[in-house]
Amino acid sequence: MAVKNEPLTAGGELEPLPRERNENGRKPVLRPLAPSTYLLRNAGKTIPLTGVIMLAILLVAGIISMIDSIPYSIRTIYSYSKEMLGVTPRGDPSLTPKIIEEIKRNSPVPLDRVMLCRASSSQVQSIVGKWPFVVLGLNQSDTLYYLKRQGSKRLIGRLPKPGAPEAIVSTPIAKNLGLRLDDPHGTKQQRDASVLLGPDKTDSYSPQYVKVVGIADTDRWLMVDSVEYQREHYLPPVDIALVFARNPADQDRLDHWADNRFKGQRAQIFAYFQIDKSTRDMFKTLYAILNIVIGTLVLVITFMMGMLMNIYQSQRLQEFGLLQAIGYTRKQLLRRVALESVAVVVLGWVLGVCLAFGMLNVVKTVLMDPKAYALDSLDPMAYRYTAPLPFAILIVALATVIIRFRRFDPVGIVERRLV
Amino acid sequence: MIEARDASLLYSDHGRDVFACRDICMVVEENEFLGILGPSGSGKSSLLYLLSGLKIPTSGDIVYHGRSLPSMHEDERSKLRLREFGFVFQQPYLLGYLTAIENVMLASPKASREEAYELLENLGLSDKTHRLPHELSGGERQRVCVARALLGDPRVIFADEPTAALDHRNGLSVVSLLNRHRGSGSLVMVTHDPSMLSEADRVVQLNDGTIAEVMAASA
Ligand SMILES: Nc1ncnc2c1ncn2[C@@H]1O[C@H](COP(=O)(O)OP(=O)(O)OP(=O)(O)O)[C@@H](O)[C@H]1O
Ligand SMILES: [Mg+2]
Repeated sequence: MAVKNEPLTAGGELEPLPRERNENGRKPVLRPLAPSTYLLRNAGKTIPLTGVIMLAILLVAGIISMIDSIPYSIRTIYSYSKEMLGVTPRGDPSLTPKIIEEIKRNSPVPLDRVMLCRASSSQVQSIVGKWPFVVLGLNQSDTLYYLKRQGSKRLIGRLPKPGAPEAIVSTPIAKNLGLRLDDPHGTKQQRDASVLLGPDKTDSYSPQYVKVVGIADTDRWLMVDSVEYQREHYLPPVDIALVFARNPADQDRLDHWADNRFKGQRAQIFAYFQIDKSTRDMFKTLYAILNIVIGTLVLVITFMMGMLMNIYQSQRLQEFGLLQAIGYTRKQLLRRVALESVAVVVLGWVLGVCLAFGMLNVVKTVLMDPKAYALDSLDPMAYRYTAPLPFAILIVALATVIIRFRRFDPVGIVERRLV
Repeated sequence: MIEARDASLLYSDHGRDVFACRDICMVVEENEFLGILGPSGSGKSSLLYLLSGLKIPTSGDIVYHGRSLPSMHEDERSKLRLREFGFVFQQPYLLGYLTAIENVMLASPKASREEAYELLENLGLSDKTHRLPHELSGGERQRVCVARALLGDPRVIFADEPTAALDHRNGLSVVSLLNRHRGSGSLVMVTHDPSMLSEADRVVQLNDGTIAEVMAASA
């Protein structure tokens, strides 16, 4: 008789067997204690479990990325301000030259260009309603510089003529507001679709109809019209300085410097970091609530999954009893259960993430993109929030099995003679 | 080879102590077929669990090849059972999602598929190796259990009423299959039916948890 003294490895690690299926359609011989064997042969139980995890992941990722799309939209829509610092005098329009002088003299970073502009206001649409958006009045040469700086690869149409009620918008704005290039020979309907501002538009007022004559091909959201037109038709007569750092990477430093320099003085600055900060402040409470909601959701899902896993493992007590009786250690059985659970949970998570990504892309393409609404289908925060779920489910599932194993008498189970 | 030294197993029944086995002294010899006979409740199963290390005696000792089973670590006893013992239980309990041959292979991670197949073939199941347990008859299932107990050439096979779920003829055939294929291993078999022990070398008669009589082979 062969006495076997080799140390046992855990979890029934049999030599790998060739998979085969003979002419009778027999089942291939699998390694009996490999986690995959249990999962495959009990697909009726494994698949629903994986499915529930998958849907839970989809739910969490979906909620988060939809909510996250709001601040993401704000950052996307107003990202044009990353490129420049805006400074306007307070109360005294004649201060503008002095402010510019001060910036030019003391700027901590080399400047590329300082330009004067006017600004009027319009609106864009977001998934949570209309948001204000600035129409910059620039002269032609500044407009060209500005478009280039905003990453515009080409301009479809032309620049506004000085003093004419004409405007340029960028591609996302055109999509968002359904604007088209003005076609002087088009139908009335077509011509109406090119109106950006007008006397009958309360939120996008202008004494004349301002029509889109150029569309700039860039992802940035931009509205530019003629500074001469704005000077003639708008109050107050205040020139705003736009200051561009030579190196775009220095812009943020310039912005912060200006913020400090003009604090408490008769000048107001506009910079991206302010938008970023106020967005963060605005959403702080919302995210706190979101944390509680998602936390509760994770708790509920985990609790339910834990119970499910518990029932699922309880049905296997006889299996565990038999295996322990014939000589498998608790550790080996636990390891096997752990591997099975990890496989189910990881599979559920991976499929859930794929499903979420797919669904978000569908939502993005079908519902969001046509209006240029921002939605990040790869939002890291959305996927980060799903991470606690697999761990929590695993911990609960394993804990229930460990507790069961603690008061576990294999003889009792084999003796009970339930088949 | 296995020696019980004044081994007792005590259960507490609502605070009252019940001896399932009391001061058992006996030896299982190498390569013998030992029958354990006794009426229901006489402690046969309990004795089998003690000898195989599935239960720890409340007092006394069980010594296997010079090593005391109760003083081993639980995992070590498990490994011993897996490596050197084979088990047949009263109910032919198989894992429902594994085929006959996979159920057999459970018994010894070191044994090859060919060995498992050969055993099933010897037990007349060569054309049913790929069936799931619910596709087998009770007798066939018990034969799969026999094959499982035999895989890996165990030194001792413990069988607790392996014939209980079968009719007399099937029961006898299971016993003789166990006896024929155990090679040089010992077979310790519990039964309340003396006619199942016609091939036994010795029979221990239990009564109320104590050994009443040891009978040598009648043949
Ligand atoms: N878990 C337990 N708790 C209390 N008493 C028990 C327990 N298990 C067994 N007993 C008692 O120990 C005695 C011996 O039981 P055992 O199962 O060894 O008998 P047996 O000879 O195998 O009987 P049977 O032929 O019916 O299987 C019985 O009186 C039984 O009631
Ligand atoms: Mg019994």
